[in-house]
Amino acid sequence: MIISILEIGTILGIMALGVYLTFRILDLPDLTCDGSFALGGAITVASLLSGIPVVYCIFLGAMGGALAGLATGLIHTRLKVNSLLAGILVMTMIYSINLRIMNGPNLPVPRVSSNEEIQSFEDLSGGTKLDDLFSDFGEMKVSTKSDIKVQSNIFNNEKDGSDLTLIILITCGIILVLGIFLRTDIGMAIRAFGSNKNAVQSFGISKNVLAVLGLVIANLLVGLSGSLFALYSGFADVQMGQSMIVTGLAALMLGEIILSKINIIYGLFAPIIGGILYQLLLSLAIKYGYRIGLLASDMKLLTALFIIIVIGVSLVATQKDGKKKLKKGVKKLWSNSKT
Amino acid sequence: MVKLKDIKVVFNKGTENEKVALDKISLTIKEGDFVTIIGSNGAGKSTMLKVILGEIFPNSGIYMIDDSVMNGTNSYKLAKFIGRVYQNPNSGVFPNLSIKENLILASKKGMRYLGFSKVSDFGVELLANLGIGLEKRLNTKAGHLSGGQKQSLAMVMSIISRPRLLLLDEHTASLDPQSSEKIMELTKRINIEYGITIMMITHNMEIASKYGNRFVKLSEGRISEDSIRDHVSAS
Repeated sequence: MIISILEIGTILGIMALGVYLTFRILDLPDLTCDGSFALGGAITVASLLSGIPVVYCIFLGAMGGALAGLATGLIHTRLKVNSLLAGILVMTMIYSINLRIMNGPNLPVPRVSSNEEIQSFEDLSGGTKLDDLFSDFGEMKVSTKSDIKVQSNIFNNEKDGSDLTLIILITCGIILVLGIFLRTDIGMAIRAFGSNKNAVQSFGISKNVLAVLGLVIANLLVGLSGSLFALYSGFADVQMGQSMIVTGLAALMLGEIILSKINIIYGLFAPIIGGILYQLLLSLAIKYGYRIGLLASDMKLLTALFIIIVIGVSLVATQKDGKKKLKKGVKKLWSNSKT
Repeated sequence: MVKLKDIKVVFNKGTENEKVALDKISLTIKEGDFVTIIGSNGAGKSTMLKVILGEIFPNSGIYMIDDSVMNGTNSYKLAKFIGRVYQNPNSGVFPNLSIKENLILASKKGMRYLGFSKVSDFGVELLANLGIGLEKRLNTKAGHLSGGQKQSLAMVMSIISRPRLLLLDEHTASLDPQSSEKIMELTKRINIEYGITIMMITHNMEIASKYGNRFVKLSEGRISEDSIRDHVSAS
């Protein structure tokens, strides 16, 4: 259970990293990620079924997310539409696009990818024990299609930690690349844009270009996360991106609470840690929540409530004597719960 | 150097709230001038500066830098000629970035690429010339500086790429008298030592009479005074 929490949490952390880029670094709220997450998954699984090697499928999924970000960016900057509305428009369009890409509401990840038509359970399962009967007959062997099988998934879904290692390696690679990028001149300009949007124009940089670039990178990460999530869970679904922005924000806030004093590589670890923590809390709530009458379907409500509480608490904390008031409130709650 | 000819700016044109902000203004600024612009609220001072910055496009008239017509040129493209500092100290700096990063960003005009630029010696020299020790705090975030320090940093950032024109919109208005005087001395030095042309809006008559070699007074979107003299009548 812990391993799968870490695995899913880290994948969701990559999505939260995209949310972190738009909400914190760019300071440009974007709702595209509900669409780009599902788009990444849909493109990956659909291209996998068409026989494209899995690594390229992941790349295509991430690029799909980037394209969604580009669309939002252009609508926001060229048509002067609020970034939130631009994101909602793109997200709505992506829903229909995903149905077309998958030719239905969902699509399973094949265990065998081949250029030939898949005909039987043996093809899907990668062969049966009966195949061994013919193994000693050399040329007489009935086609097992081993020559046309390609690695169809980067995850083996075994609890041996290999998936987790792979996910952590991918995530560390992303953080490293993103960290270096944010140090470059263009990365610095993106951070500057989030810090003071109007001033960047004074230094000869188009704020429209920076907004579009930031949205493209953020949604590329979300698309990549969706792609990995689909491969990990074994399917892509048109609904898989629903409320992703809320999940991403909750993960981000959790990470920021945990790493409030530590700011390594522009705070890029916070969304990842938050993603894992979010997944842990979600799993605990699903497993033990029934004792206090919670249903699995209540999780979205709880996530949104968590965000509202965090925003409320941080608002109080920034007010005069806010921290004292908060401590007093917590102490009062604690003593009430004891009695 | 900068030439405005019959510039007219009308806000909310064709509506009930139509307002003529600039009414056929003509003004020629020479290289090296230090122009102080005064006028009551709504006289059109800031609008004139925004036209020069490319933030507002005039409804009619011609705006030229040297012999090139700049009507319709976007503000970020004009940035290589023009530096600017506003009233709010936070508006000229990037609070989330360090002083060093602020200087790096300001020292280059135009789009940035995947390189790693370093802070220029000129930038550090300008910072050291302020005499407030900012050059020793290059890694401090700009957001942690006081209002006067931020405004000083904004002044350095606005001239670090050696623009030809510096536009100042009430840049001392939110500072205490001491900081204000320091910033004004810096402004004067920028004009004299680096030869940068300055256009400065102020409401402070003491500053208006003390600094600048040319005074322009705006009233209701028109130039009512344009002279080189020692004393400017209160508006």
